[in-house]
Amino acid sequence: MKRIEALEVLDQIFGNDPLIITCGATAREMASISQKKSHLPLLDSMGLTTPVGLGVALGVKGRVGVIDGDGSLLMGFSILPTLKAYGPKNLIVIVLDNGQHASADLMLSQASDVDIAGAAKGLGLWVGQCDSADEMKSLIASRTGADEISMIFVKIEKGNTPGIPFYLANPPKLSADFVESISS
Amino acid sequence: MRESNSRLTALVEGLTDWGIEYFVYVPSSHSAPVIRGLISAGVANVMANREEEAVGIASGLALTGKKVAIIMQDNGFGNALTALATFAQPYQAGFPIFANTRGGLGEYNSMVHSISDSNPDLLKKIGVRVEELGISDSPEVWRSSSQAVAQMAVIQRRPVVTLFESLHPGMETIK
Ligand SMILES: Cc1ncc(C[n+]2csc(CCOP(=O)(O)OP(=O)(O)O)c2C)c(N)n1
Ligand SMILES: [Mg+2]
Repeated sequence: MKRIEALEVLDQIFGNDPLIITCGATAREMASISQKKSHLPLLDSMGLTTPVGLGVALGVKGRVGVIDGDGSLLMGFSILPTLKAYGPKNLIVIVLDNGQHASADLMLSQASDVDIAGAAKGLGLWVGQCDSADEMKSLIASRTGADEISMIFVKIEKGNTPGIPFYLANPPKLSADFVESISS
Repeated sequence: MRESNSRLTALVEGLTDWGIEYFVYVPSSHSAPVIRGLISAGVANVMANREEEAVGIASGLALTGKKVAIIMQDNGFGNALTALATFAQPYQAGFPIFANTRGGLGEYNSMVHSISDSNPDLLKKIGVRVEELGISDSPEVWRSSSQAVAQMAVIQRRPVVTLFESLHPGMETIK
């Protein structure tokens, strides 16, 4: 599965539920297929997606999704024990793992050498792993309404979709729309 | 200097006056009376492992409309700057940060001033407003200022930092 194919599926699954989206090509590719008020793309804040998603999930009652990347998660890896300690059950963190910083000139990430899902498991988090759209769909469905936070590591193909334009969004507008969508 | 605890109590009271619902903190012996005071007041909280993480969590909570504050010590601003500049500020997450200062009177560590002394300039340089509370300000000022700064951060939809002086408990005997 390519990243953009995973994003299409995730956009459908989460509907109008809050979805916090990691930076770089992930935010760009998502914006190229779907832009919603319930989407909160972090345009450049690598490492911060899952912490922001944790804050949002603590503040609202319904399901909250995070789409992170392996590189971004590794940059803010200290969030994993915090997720275990405080992770609200309404939060589903999806890590699109291509073993590389695809957005940064395709440089390999340490996830190509180490088992980041295993690290999350070692911390006692509930972890699901898959590499197809169907498995991802059924994992998310089975974890919606679960009694603890979920982390789903999805293996995706390396690389970026060519021809995706830069995403020139205005952060105050993105957050104002997001705030409106979660308060409605 | 023994009076510092009444000021830290006043900071907690200012935040409860404001109606604080959540706080995110990184442990510090200097801030411990504030952290413990808020916990005793029954305020929900998250302990973060680093300050950048705290900025992300507090920003998320602030966007959901929660009244949230960060409690930390100021030598962690180096860890927090990128998160403040690229997320909390542009995405208009309004919350106060209360950070005890290090490197000043009573400091026992020989190098921590090298970050702490620069913090007001670093923060102002990225456009973060900085307020200060010192031991020459009365507890009443600490209480009213903490509440007012928190309100301002929410109204202006931006993080606002208060740097507050608090001696290490082991240094309280210095006269
Ligand atoms: C603090 C910081 N350092 C570096 C970057 C540059 N950068 C943007 S995206 C990215 C790679 C992200 O990798 P990953 O999360 O695995 O996503 P992928 O592009 O592989 O889908 C990097 C290094 C950045 N945005 N911020
Ligand atoms: Mg990657």
